[in-house]
Amino acid sequence: MCAAIIALLLLGLAMVPAIATADDSAGPLLAQAPAGPAPGGPAPPPAQPTLTDWARPREPFSLGERTGRGQLLFDLGVAGDFVANLTQDNIDKADAGTFTGRENLFFPREIELSFFGQIDPYARGEVRLEAAEEFEDGARDLHVGLAEAHLTLLTLPYGTQLKMGKLRNRFGLLNQRHFHDLPQTDRPNVLVRFFGEEGLTESGAELTWIPDLPVYLEALIGVFNGDNEDAFGRSSLKVPLVTGRLRTFFDLATLGAIQVGASAASGQTEERRTQTFVGYDVKYKLTPEGWRHPLLTLASEGIWSFREGEVEEETGPEDRTFRRFGWYIYGEVQPWRRWAGGLRYDYTQLLEAPGREWAIGPYLAFMASEFLRFRLGYKHTERDNRETFNANDASGRTADEVFFQATFILGAHPAHPF
Amino acid sequence: MASATPGRRFIVAILLACGLGAAGAEGANKLRVVTSLPDLKALTEAVGGDLVEVDTLARGTQNPHDIEVRPSLMLKLRRADLLVRNGAGGDPWVEPLVVGAHNGRIVPGAPGYVDASKGVPIIAPTGAVDRSRGDVHPEGNPHYTLDPTLAPIITATIVEGLKRVAPEHGVRLEAQRQEFLARLEVALARWQAALAPVRGARVVSYHETFTYFLRRFGLEEAGAIEDRPGIPPSPTHLAALIRLIREQKVRLIVAEPFADQKVVELVARDSGARAVALPSAVGGSKGVETYLDLFEHNVRTVAEALR
Repeated sequence: MCAAIIALLLLGLAMVPAIATADDSAGPLLAQAPAGPAPGGPAPPPAQPTLTDWARPREPFSLGERTGRGQLLFDLGVAGDFVANLTQDNIDKADAGTFTGRENLFFPREIELSFFGQIDPYARGEVRLEAAEEFEDGARDLHVGLAEAHLTLLTLPYGTQLKMGKLRNRFGLLNQRHFHDLPQTDRPNVLVRFFGEEGLTESGAELTWIPDLPVYLEALIGVFNGDNEDAFGRSSLKVPLVTGRLRTFFDLATLGAIQVGASAASGQTEERRTQTFVGYDVKYKLTPEGWRHPLLTLASEGIWSFREGEVEEETGPEDRTFRRFGWYIYGEVQPWRRWAGGLRYDYTQLLEAPGREWAIGPYLAFMASEFLRFRLGYKHTERDNRETFNANDASGRTADEVFFQATFILGAHPAHPF
Repeated sequence: MASATPGRRFIVAILLACGLGAAGAEGANKLRVVTSLPDLKALTEAVGGDLVEVDTLARGTQNPHDIEVRPSLMLKLRRADLLVRNGAGGDPWVEPLVVGAHNGRIVPGAPGYVDASKGVPIIAPTGAVDRSRGDVHPEGNPHYTLDPTLAPIITATIVEGLKRVAPEHGVRLEAQRQEFLARLEVALARWQAALAPVRGARVVSYHETFTYFLRRFGLEEAGAIEDRPGIPPSPTHLAALIRLIREQKVRLIVAEPFADQKVVELVARDSGARAVALPSAVGGSKGVETYLDLFEHNVRTVAEALR
């Protein structure tokens, strides 16, 4: 029996196609390399696998064995994001800092384990697991959860693609970005106030279409449960959250590149009231010829919220649409490869209460390498709403915060979009 | 002048659309190929001749490791019949571009997807591969197009891909490939003769881009300014490198056009070696328009610098 298995294995080895060699008709000089490099030439191709090689556990079950090309079936990466923040005592007491409930602490904000790669010739998959410390009523807890898991069908006709699963919605510029990928330490206020600290992450499907035009144009339509409790919360495909996005891009050669987008999302709240968001986004980058990083980045995003609600009038309850708006703008300069500095301005009307807040925050980042970054920032916030932010007999109206962020990436990490 | 009526505007728009269509018809029968790097564009043009219309995602003056994932590049891929990528970890930014292009003809596993590193004897990294050594490629050194003797393998892979999407042109493509290899063979003999007098000379590079080139022509890579790929060199390393250049009497430093020229000049000035900027890809220097031009230029530059 063993002999038969060995014979079969040997037969299999013999049938493994040989690595491509130079065409016979190539001249003697050209033929020399593949047949056997000249002294000092490139290393010869790896030898045929031995029986021991075949017996060795295959990837991905033997990650430590990764020594050659094409052994890993998919990519694996870990991103770690740690934040420290310092602020006044009243902000700490009122839990009114940028990182609510974690004021004056150093904490792991997001440790993300991601797997991504081709599922088969037709689809690509991505799974992200997330671990973070959660703080509730003064108690710390480790939360591990599924941040994203989705597949993308790549071979649909007419320039279309379908992405489905649990995913960060393509709404505006920064909603798609995970914490460690954000251009500043914190997510812009408008996204936090309208969609919650985690942003808009939903389960459903997005269909995108890139028509065959001389200019880049991407159109998107999505259908989701509407699970986000801050913005929607109906959680039913019978009354789904519907999203849409249009994005275009202009390459201005030596003058840089600009991306312009418009997004919309409409669904229902838990109270069965219609909630609609409409937004714009624009991003400009200038990367001088030969530079490995952009010299200048400017970006802005604005979102209007239209929420149906009820107000008590003298004649009785009356339906009304509450309009809110928030936006941010930031600029970043990176004169050296390792150093970048920037400034962000935020203005947001509160979603469910009257009043607004604005903030301004400069920051400085040091990139030791592509995989390790430290960021130091300051943020000054002013609010004109007492009820929402004052708590525990403390005022949360004016906050001054200092942030420190350390971010690392282990292993693979997909390249970021523009 | 009176403003155009909506009816006139509509007619003008239709005529313009027809004009654009007619202009595009010229290239309509050609295979639309997009390559990740300019050397692969040059090789595809060499074997494809007038059967192909080739565009490249990266330019010769750009660092191939740092290409931004721009939607304008996705648009190029949107219409491609064939994608020829470098592979071997040299162009990882191709993956999000392919996903963003919405073109099922060129996704991995599709007939229009070509990894040109297939079958190429890649120089493997030595020792353990981790990022304490910088952004080292676990797959090995991906700059294999700088060894002209590997062109038979690379072009065979490209022709194989072209034949998959246009089998009717198989014979002609193979004939054009043979014609190109014959020209390359003649040129290679000339290049080897030109560098024969300086064979064994020690050279310092900026990044490990020229390793294949130096090895092919019998030159020894004594060290690299960027000792850990992707990480700016430390003053300690530069001081040690300058000492090494003096002790080993290294006469030449070669650097890509996108290398940090200030650091290159500093090392050259303090060590006494001569620094030259070598294009690391087709289009990386004025007049370097084809694959043969690239080696003509680099061989001549190195031979003159070491003379």
